[in-house]
Amino acid sequence: MHKIWAVIRREFIEKVRTRAFILATILGPVFFGVLAIVPGYLMSRDTGIKRVAVVDATTTEFGNRVAAALTAARRGRGAAAPPRFEVTHVAAAGREVAVRDSLVKQTGLSEKQAAGFEGLLLVSDSSLVTGRVHYLGNNVGSFDDMREIESVVRPVIVSERLERIGVNPGEAMKSMQGIDLVTAKVADGRLTGESGAATFLLAYAMGIILYIALLIYGQQIMGAIVEEKTSRIVEVLASSLTPFQMMLGKVIGVGAVALLQIGIWTGAATLFSTYKDQILTALGATATGPLPLSLPSMQPDLFLVFLIFFALGFLFFAALYAAVGAMCNTIQDAGQAQMPVMMMVIAGFFSIFALIRDPNGTAARVLSYVPPLAPFVVPMRYSISPLSAVSLSAAILTTVLGVLVVVWLAGRIYRVGILMYGKKASFGEVFRWIRAA
Amino acid sequence: MNGSVIQVERVTKRFSGHTAVEGLSLAVPKGGIFGLLGPNGAGKSTTIRMIMNIISPDEGRISVFDSGAASRDLSERIGFLPEERGLYKKMRVLDHLTFLGEAKGITRASAKTRAGKWLERLGLADWAQKKVEDLSKGMQQKVQFISALQHDPELLILDEPFSGLDPVNSQVMKDVVVEAAREGRTVLFSTHIMEQAEKMCDHIVIIARGRKLVDGPLAQIKREFGGRHVALTFTRNSDRANRVLSDRSLVASSDDYGASAEVQLAAGGDPDRLLKTLVQEDVGLSRFEVVEPSLQAIFIAKVGADAANAPANEVHHA
Repeated sequence: MHKIWAVIRREFIEKVRTRAFILATILGPVFFGVLAIVPGYLMSRDTGIKRVAVVDATTTEFGNRVAAALTAARRGRGAAAPPRFEVTHVAAAGREVAVRDSLVKQTGLSEKQAAGFEGLLLVSDSSLVTGRVHYLGNNVGSFDDMREIESVVRPVIVSERLERIGVNPGEAMKSMQGIDLVTAKVADGRLTGESGAATFLLAYAMGIILYIALLIYGQQIMGAIVEEKTSRIVEVLASSLTPFQMMLGKVIGVGAVALLQIGIWTGAATLFSTYKDQILTALGATATGPLPLSLPSMQPDLFLVFLIFFALGFLFFAALYAAVGAMCNTIQDAGQAQMPVMMMVIAGFFSIFALIRDPNGTAARVLSYVPPLAPFVVPMRYSISPLSAVSLSAAILTTVLGVLVVVWLAGRIYRVGILMYGKKASFGEVFRWIRAA
Repeated sequence: MNGSVIQVERVTKRFSGHTAVEGLSLAVPKGGIFGLLGPNGAGKSTTIRMIMNIISPDEGRISVFDSGAASRDLSERIGFLPEERGLYKKMRVLDHLTFLGEAKGITRASAKTRAGKWLERLGLADWAQKKVEDLSKGMQQKVQFISALQHDPELLILDEPFSGLDPVNSQVMKDVVVEAAREGRTVLFSTHIMEQAEKMCDHIVIIARGRKLVDGPLAQIKREFGGRHVALTFTRNSDRANRVLSDRSLVASSDDYGASAEVQLAAGGDPDRLLKTLVQEDVGLSRFEVVEPSLQAIFIAKVGADAANAPANEVHHA
């Protein structure tokens, strides 16, 4: 037991001390920060007022209304918010083509030339019939600007049409209000206050964390074992440690490193999204209000389920990666030999996407008992609707059994493999190792 | 045989179609330096790996300290230096030694103190906080040596301990090994360098192609090998000297180094007659000494004779 601790401590400390770990651990939060802060910051900085000319070919009040609506549009909420558009209204009934062509010459010029427009909005009487309004401008690629113009113009057209057929636009708008399906998650007979979308997000997040941890750290374990073989340190170790101690110590040590790194990342991500507005304000930008999706809270029971399956999944795949490492003598060999293991990880990850629409269907229930997939499937199912105690324990039990079998197999491969130098072992040979050892 | 520190009984190990060790038995007595000698590919390292429980024999049994326990579980009492040296390149020297001490089964604190003392003793104290990869090859070998010795083992098993060492380091290591034996520890080391073994070993075993050829205390082996040997050095007319040395009525065999030779006199051969003949031939003798056979001579004679009787199709396996 003492010896295993020594191996675990060595793995943990040596990994945490590496430049790669320190860099990745720091860059992770920086990345989250940039992701959370920069778009909001840029958006709030973008106060440029768009100069738009309304080329009005209408013979009614309609053109004036469109121009007035654009002038009234504000960036952000409240009366104090800055206007979005600087509107020039050009009456052009009967000569709209000539006006348009002359104005196009003043449009989309570089910013230094003060006079000019970002764009021209062409409205005519036929717009009411066809619903077609033309916009010519240099900012047609701006999703935001186009959406804003559309959302300003649409109600003007609709109410104009309604008035023409003698309907009160106010009443009509009210009765046409869309309906909203507001979802809220119930767990254990209690409302959790989370929306369905937030729950999905959590299910995906758990899957992604396990997936990334397996790919990064599983391969690290594999690489470290190949390195121990090529540097022959394994001879010294094998004379005082059992192969099982070496393998388990490595898997647990690296697993602890993974948990530490993911913990730091998750903590940083939570901090950034919670204090995003404060950070923006500190940077001198206006707060942009809450995120479209609030980060879901994680119930303690779900957290426990996630941790259990994270640990089991990590043991399962890390043992497989260790066995692959023991079979190979170069990183290149290992890169090829790991494909079957990697396919399993990917299959587990994608099973989340496949099953999330029907988390309690037959497929999801069956796959909860398949050890390589259960670490992905069970936390996802649990986050959407808690499993019964019986099926949860059954899933844990089958996964534990699967882990035991895999660790036992990997231990046997490891025992023989670490002392085999020369060429990469074939699967036939590996099978013999398992039987013979 | 009781009282042996290591007991190897009729051990056989095969690797895919090739027998590395065949029916080998040997007993390492307590105390003293035991040499396991043999040409490359004789099965020395395989034997040592089996003693260390790194690989297990196909047949036969091995016991260490008369205990029946695997030597891995006795690692606290055994110091091991493998033939293939390796260290974690990125680890700091002191951390590395501490870890290896812990892996042997001693506590972290005591591993650290002892490693520090050894680094001091071998002149590496300034390097304790450096990474292994920053050390020269010679220093890395010293570190490896320390890892075998730092936990004060009763038994030291060293596989080719002096290979690849420069003369200065070789001397330092030799002193350490001799001192360990003087303190009552048992040392088993393998080598194919006979001069070293001859100077250090109390007891030797020579193996070739997996089988034992010679086993016993060094003095006894020399006695039993018998024959009268003469070591001589000449300074001129070496062609005439060679003619004398190939006279089979005088000389049974000679190991010729050009300007010097070790010869075994023919049965009934007389050193006086050999001396007289050489003086007559005017070869400028600077040394003429009746000696015990050297280990080198015994080795060449035994291994050479064995190889001559053996089929030549064996694959060499280190």
